[in-house]
Amino acid sequence: MAKGIWVFTEQRDGEIKKVTYELLSAGRKVADSLGEELCAVLLGKGVSGLEGKLGEYGADKVYTVDSEALENYTTDAYTNILADLAKEHQPTAILLACSASGRDVAAQVAQRLGTGLMTDCTDMALEDGQLVFTRPVYAGKAIVKAACPEARPVMATIRPNVLAADAPQAGRAAQAVPVGGNTGDIRQVIKDIVKQISTRPELTEADIIVSGGRGIKGPENFALLEELADVLGAAVGASRAAVDAGWKSHSFQVGQTGKTVSPVLYIACGISGAIQHLAGMSSSKCIVAVNKDPEANIFKVADYGIVGDLFDVVPLLKEELKKLLA
Amino acid sequence: MSELMVFDEVREAIVMSGGEEIQKCMQCGVCAGSCPWGRMEEKSEFNVRSMFHMGRLGYDGYESDDFLFACTTCNQCAVRCPRGIKIPEVVRSMRSVIAETGGIPKNLKAVIGSINSQGNPWSQERSERAAWMKDMEVPEYTPDKEYLLFVCCTSAYDGRSQKVAKSVVELLKAAGVSFGVIGVEEQCCGESVRKIGAEEEFTKLAEYNIDLYNKKGVKKIITTSPHCYYTFKNEYPEFGGEFEVYHYTQLLDELLAQGKLKLSKPVNGKVVYHEPCYLGRHSKAFDAPRNLMGAVPELQLVEFDGNKDNSLCCSGGGARIWMETKAGQRFSDVKVKEAAEKEAQVIATACPYCIVMLEDSLKNLNKDDVMTVKDISEILKESL
Amino acid sequence: MKIVVLMKQVFDTEAKISLDGNKINKQGVSLVMNPYDEYAVELGLRIKEKFKGEVTVVSVGGPEVQDALRQALAMGADKAVLVDPGADEIDEYTTATILAKAIGGLEYNILLGGFKAIDDGSCQVCGRVAEILGVPVVNMVTQAEVEEDKAVVTCDIDGGSAVIEVKLPAMLTAQKGEIEPRYPSMKGIMQAKKKPMQKIGLGDIGLDAAQAAPKVKALSYSLPAARAAGKLVPGEPAEAAKELARLLREEAKVI
Ligand code: SF4
Ligand code: SF4
Repeated sequence: MAKGIWVFTEQRDGEIKKVTYELLSAGRKVADSLGEELCAVLLGKGVSGLEGKLGEYGADKVYTVDSEALENYTTDAYTNILADLAKEHQPTAILLACSASGRDVAAQVAQRLGTGLMTDCTDMALEDGQLVFTRPVYAGKAIVKAACPEARPVMATIRPNVLAADAPQAGRAAQAVPVGGNTGDIRQVIKDIVKQISTRPELTEADIIVSGGRGIKGPENFALLEELADVLGAAVGASRAAVDAGWKSHSFQVGQTGKTVSPVLYIACGISGAIQHLAGMSSSKCIVAVNKDPEANIFKVADYGIVGDLFDVVPLLKEELKKLLA
Repeated sequence: MSELMVFDEVREAIVMSGGEEIQKCMQCGVCAGSCPWGRMEEKSEFNVRSMFHMGRLGYDGYESDDFLFACTTCNQCAVRCPRGIKIPEVVRSMRSVIAETGGIPKNLKAVIGSINSQGNPWSQERSERAAWMKDMEVPEYTPDKEYLLFVCCTSAYDGRSQKVAKSVVELLKAAGVSFGVIGVEEQCCGESVRKIGAEEEFTKLAEYNIDLYNKKGVKKIITTSPHCYYTFKNEYPEFGGEFEVYHYTQLLDELLAQGKLKLSKPVNGKVVYHEPCYLGRHSKAFDAPRNLMGAVPELQLVEFDGNKDNSLCCSGGGARIWMETKAGQRFSDVKVKEAAEKEAQVIATACPYCIVMLEDSLKNLNKDDVMTVKDISEILKESL
Repeated sequence: MKIVVLMKQVFDTEAKISLDGNKINKQGVSLVMNPYDEYAVELGLRIKEKFKGEVTVVSVGGPEVQDALRQALAMGADKAVLVDPGADEIDEYTTATILAKAIGGLEYNILLGGFKAIDDGSCQVCGRVAEILGVPVVNMVTQAEVEEDKAVVTCDIDGGSAVIEVKLPAMLTAQKGEIEPRYPSMKGIMQAKKKPMQKIGLGDIGLDAAQAAPKVKALSYSLPAARAAGKLVPGEPAEAAKELARLLREEAKVI
């Protein structure tokens, strides 16, 4: 009989990512309802000692594999260890973060265990004793609820920031279970790793885009938008007018004659909203417009608008968001 | 041997797609010499003569955004071709061979996708098609109405262009025309997708619209755009759609002559007329726009150096409006510069695409504080 | 060099999604080759050009998928294989099982695919296929230097990028990167008509439906709430900015 809700710890350089706490908090509730234990799986180099943190967020037990070979993520090493552990302990479910590595390892492990995997989920609930996952499909234009009725473990990757992390309970301890773990033959040989200081995503991949138009008045003022973008982890875009004025290169252009985008949040600053621009971004989930001209077309598609000078509003907005996201 | 067969097949495929006239071409080069692409500040690789040459012989190398999809279908070359070849038709057929296999520019794929799902090329909600008439009384089309007013997708959705639709409505009302609008049930006329080469999508649209109009009892159609006009008039008959079609300027011109449209208020200023290719060269409606503006008291109408059959295109036709044209290669920039030299205060035109292109150029060249782009309907409305 | 590209046909990005009962309505949308797979095909063609290799494109789906396969052939691929799963309700496990079985019967040195499909975005089929076939996988590849027996690739990882070497055969999944997928040429389109397109069923690759039965079941589909009318956030800039930040978090829940 399968037992236990597992959370795969997302850590980088010995620092546990917030999404892990979100998964633990949600997993705790499921484990309680099912009367099962909540376990974290912690892989990495020099990670022993982080179990306490995981316990504070609800883990009953932490399987730790601390090894030189796990310093950097590799598909094979992480897959081999996680799959072996799961074969041995037969958990009910394994929850992972929907990150590059989380997605990567999840697919391999799911196949090796012959089970189902639901990726990119935004919610998880127990319905009639069955774990049901919500995931947006077709770029968020539809939502599917799915489950894995028979195969075990149920596997899912869940987006960061969609589930709430509960407050940690100081002193709540988890049983630390150090495991030898066999990384097996690692066929992906890392030659080099380049860390990005500023991880501004690519325009068409970004969840959030901050875009500027003619109202920006000059190339130097894009710095204002870049600062806002960095607070949000957003990409920076530009309207055709701003690109034509030579303030940004064509690769930044959003619109039908540039790139078509549909991020979760699109912040248009000083963009009037010519039809070509709208055609390239109006499927964004949430649109914010900041423009001096209350008649600007962009307000017709905006969910939230501020009629005002972007040079006043944008820096203030940046500060407010910084506070919120801290 | 097999390569040679491929060569023949390419030509055959072009012929099969309606480009049979490619075989008449004698490679004289008059077309390329007339083509505005060759007259721009920044050199373009596009050359229609050599494209025909490659197409006939089955050579590779012209299937790119800036070659096969460069032609704006402005018809400048065709009015001069000594063999009388309908060059834009051949270009269209060459595109359609490629389009069938999904090899069209990314931006145009989005246009086709939008046509399929939303019935318009602008990725806007189908249900919003009638939003432009929110704050005005627009009669609905019923069988007792004489005309259907078909509002181009651009004028239905683009905030700027919606003003054109509204002006046309006001003018028709003022002249006592019996007309109505269908609204959300309508779909794009299909001009743009046909020019992209998406024949299947065009056929679907044409059949849908013809069926809709027949069911509603439509006999006569007024269009706001010369592109819709051209398509209804010249391309729907092969699908069984026989309608009497007018571009709004043509009908208003008749009404003016009959004394039903009265233009009394003066409109001051120097106006230069930019001839939309599909109204001018393609449809030879040279007089109606000029008669109308000529009847506006005080208005000083001037001409571009190249006008009527020699008018320079805005570069928005042939689906180019959805593609990026490099600065230095935009025909509309040339137009705006000439208009500025002529010290015009207004560039008047009668096509939604031309307005989009010209206004963009006006902004990019920082001329928007000395000049505006207006649709003829907007000028006439001021004169009512 | 034998190259196999895994390909999926998807709704295009402009598709308006509507429901047909408890299913996604497939009418009135454009079907296109998954854009990430176009990158994979391009990568495959470049490897082919370097080594005088052969590119086979493999897909799972109904007869409509031939259009996307033909595009790959017109771009320059040599052969196409289309396996009809014979069922509507399939999941990534099903697709991967079928693909792996079909590919298992082919010769290959390198397997390629898009790292995700723009429809369900599940990013797991290629990984699963690699696992079944016992070849290493590297995901989100933006650049690849392929040699006779190994590939050195640049790929996106959390917080940056990595350069990874793998021995061949291996599975590489393409992220959008520096290489731009080519358009089919007129000549390519003509040639594509004569290239082999194999249409087979599960039986032809020795599978029965039970072996490929899905693990995941879609319980229900819904559409997101319709867009509410936009609102203007009033007040002085400071006040408005604060309120906007609050609305984005609490009402729109987008940050
Ligand atoms: S002008 Fe006519 S005949 Fe001369 S090259 Fe062009 S298409 Fe051919
Ligand atoms: S139609 Fe116009 S753009 Fe096209 S080739 Fe002829 S002159 Fe050039």
